Amino acid sequence: MSNFPVVAATSPHLVAVPVSTGVATALVALLMLTHIQFAAFQQGGYIILAVTDFIGWKGKDARKDRFSKGLVTALGATFAFGSALAIFAVLILFLGLWSQFFVQLARIMFWPLVVEGVAFVGEIACLYTVYSQWDKLTRVRPLRVGLELLLFVNASIQMLAINVVAAYMLTPRPSNSLALNLLNPTLIPLEVHRFVGNIAFAGAIIALVGGIRILLAKSREGRAYGDWIGHYGLVYAIGFTIAQPLIGWEYAKEVQLHSYAAWYSMMLGGLSVAFLFQVFLLGAIFTVGIFYLWRRIKASGFRAPTLAVCTALSFASWLLIATPSSLAWSYEDVVAANANVPIWQGGLMIPWGEMIPFKLLALITFTGVAIVAVTVYLKHVSKGHLRWGDAGRGQAAALITVAVAVSLMMALMGYIREHSRAPFLVTDKVLINQQQNFNPPNAAGPAMNGPAGLGIIMPWDPHP
Amino acid sequence: MSSPSQPPRSELVAKLTRPVARPLAGTYRWVDERLGISDLTHQLLYEAVPRRGAWTYSLGSATLIIIVLQIVTGIFLLWTYVPSTTEAWESLNFIEHHDEFAAIVRGMHLWGAYVLLLVIGLHMIRTFVSGSYKKPRELNWIVGVLLFLLVLGLGITGAMLPWDQAAYWTATVVTHVVDYIPFLGNWIQEILRGGPQMGPETLTRFFAIHIWLLPALLVPLVGLHLILLRRHGEHGSWVNYEGIDTETEAERAARMAAAEYPYPAVPSDPGYAVPMDIDDFFPSQVFKDAIVSFALVVIIFVMAVVVGAPLERAANPAALNYVPTPEWFFLPLDQLLVQFPQAWMIPVGVFVLPGIGTTLLVLVPFLDRSPEREPWRRPEVMVPALFAVLFLVFEALLAVNRLFNL
Repeated sequence: MSNFPVVAATSPHLVAVPVSTGVATALVALLMLTHIQFAAFQQGGYIILAVTDFIGWKGKDARKDRFSKGLVTALGATFAFGSALAIFAVLILFLGLWSQFFVQLARIMFWPLVVEGVAFVGEIACLYTVYSQWDKLTRVRPLRVGLELLLFVNASIQMLAINVVAAYMLTPRPSNSLALNLLNPTLIPLEVHRFVGNIAFAGAIIALVGGIRILLAKSREGRAYGDWIGHYGLVYAIGFTIAQPLIGWEYAKEVQLHSYAAWYSMMLGGLSVAFLFQVFLLGAIFTVGIFYLWRRIKASGFRAPTLAVCTALSFASWLLIATPSSLAWSYEDVVAANANVPIWQGGLMIPWGEMIPFKLLALITFTGVAIVAVTVYLKHVSKGHLRWGDAGRGQAAALITVAVAVSLMMALMGYIREHSRAPFLVTDKVLINQQQNFNPPNAAGPAMNGPAGLGIIMPWDPHP
Repeated sequence: MSSPSQPPRSELVAKLTRPVARPLAGTYRWVDERLGISDLTHQLLYEAVPRRGAWTYSLGSATLIIIVLQIVTGIFLLWTYVPSTTEAWESLNFIEHHDEFAAIVRGMHLWGAYVLLLVIGLHMIRTFVSGSYKKPRELNWIVGVLLFLLVLGLGITGAMLPWDQAAYWTATVVTHVVDYIPFLGNWIQEILRGGPQMGPETLTRFFAIHIWLLPALLVPLVGLHLILLRRHGEHGSWVNYEGIDTETEAERAARMAAAEYPYPAVPSDPGYAVPMDIDDFFPSQVFKDAIVSFALVVIIFVMAVVVGAPLERAANPAALNYVPTPEWFFLPLDQLLVQFPQAWMIPVGVFVLPGIGTTLLVLVPFLDRSPEREPWRRPEVMVPALFAVLFLVFEALLAVNRLFNL
């Protein structure tokens, strides 16, 4: 029985989409995971842009001014590509391959999507103005910084709107109330997780650029600039990632409470391998990031024993969470390799792979150690210990490694979140294969929540 | 303009007002000679303050004004409120339905408390970021932290007084939680409840704590806070000390010698005893303080008129399906309580973690003893503090999300 009686009743001649569910899923996954990387860079990049431009303005810092101009160019270019991907996704993939689902979802989430559309237009207007009038706006610096902040606000509104949709799909509320559907149980942790994560991601991409610039630099001046960019981006990347273990933990708790099957799939079921790999990546980000902080101070000729200890502790925590299962491709591989059987029973499962207490201990250690490391590093920076241009190939490699790990992390988290609902597209409401195997119903079935008819859910209840 | 034949205008005014002005001036002189009002006014109004960043220093004065407002509105409420379990709700229900003036006063008391907490929070953040707690102002920081804790205590005890459903169940949860304090929990619980169970004495005790015990501690501490402020002078923020790194010893000595009362603040880190640029407290700072305080009082009044103070149904101990919602300023603590659900872990979430946080807050001046004032040169305190604040905001957001989805 279909879960789309309303669409079926008004479109009785709908036939199955001539594309397999697997192909349709793969297409949308590829496109959206790519789009997410661009969108995350946009949102995080805007706030870094506003902060940097403000500091450069107040501190009369030419390097920050140069960086801000470069960043706005990069943001303009990535916005063009990333938003084209999003438009392509909506027009071709959603309306073409997932039309029934998308129309129903747009009916329930009409207002958030309208808000997102308006914010998208606002983002275009602000970004075009800032990008094209950059030099002229230098004379009206408060306006330029204000527009950059507005860019961030617009991007944040869009992210909030799409998070409402994503959170709804994972933990929908059985209600016709728009308010209840908007503020559904996993919205806040998802919003905070992505908000913080996007800034960390943008920082990591900036660090990546810095790393590449260090490697390709032909002059001392170019190397110094790349060195500074790498340092600047990494501070954002590590600084904001510090909060992620706690926020992620809270997010997982909410998923456990409100969508147990999805949580089980992530933590103990078929997706647990992907989760293990995610934790492995988190360890890589912290350990390599803190290693960079230590070596970067050392490269300028200062001793930093606390940072050395922090690197060692982070590495030890990384070992604490790493299990052979972390490197398996699928849960079937884990079973085939006996990695789900304890080592004392002849398998490969080692005791310190357990979530509690070992992974929990590792996550707490990562957080505490990273706070200390970033603090100590910034203390060195504030004392003027860093000479820009001292960074070597090792530091460049560390910057690139952190960026690659963060990027992989983003993609993997998207994969886990979308697959944790399987076999549902919307938890307990719509199956993934219902789009392709659609048959007009002969009786009203359990629809996605929402009022009867093709109306949209309004902010106020039209059917009291 | 007066013609030569006419007396000047000031003379005319003086002549006309002489019958009133003379006895008034004489009376004032008589009182002043005995009480020293002129000297007192001079001491209160005439002092030097840092010139730059003056608007942010208004938060302290605004806090004082709102505390006074709370005392005044609280006294008004006492004229009608009856602190008994049978009549507390009735008296407030009477106010809400039959006494519009008292309803506004009650609304101002509630919104005044909310704004007070916000303003104190901002004042503390401003003080923290600017490093104003450093030598010689360590004790004033500690007094400020104690005042903040007292205001939190006033907030939670005040929330219990209406004895409606929200008040009753808040009191139940609060007095239940204290039972988890190791060794002393049961004893403290019985003191607060007035026995092993919630009852008439519970309300009486929280009423006494709210209107007598906590204000009796608050008022002297406010006085001590002001005395210490006057003793050391307003530190201001790092912008008032720009240039001390390049200052010569002779220039610094000249600046110290020319310092106006209450500067120089000693003992101090080198260069920080006197702001580089000062202004008069009266009228410059007083004007800014008045604007900010007036704006806040207007906001409180508007919120009292437009939103008012809620009053739920009368307390019903039998309504076991009632879900109490904590006041917004206790949302992080409420969320911590949820996150440590096992009985043996509750003390960790509700007492140990907040206790560590509060202790660190009190000890800030002794943990951060470097002479640096600029926030970006003090990452050792700014970074952990930033994470602590973000953690509290995150916990509050989670609590909102959870309560909304109950």
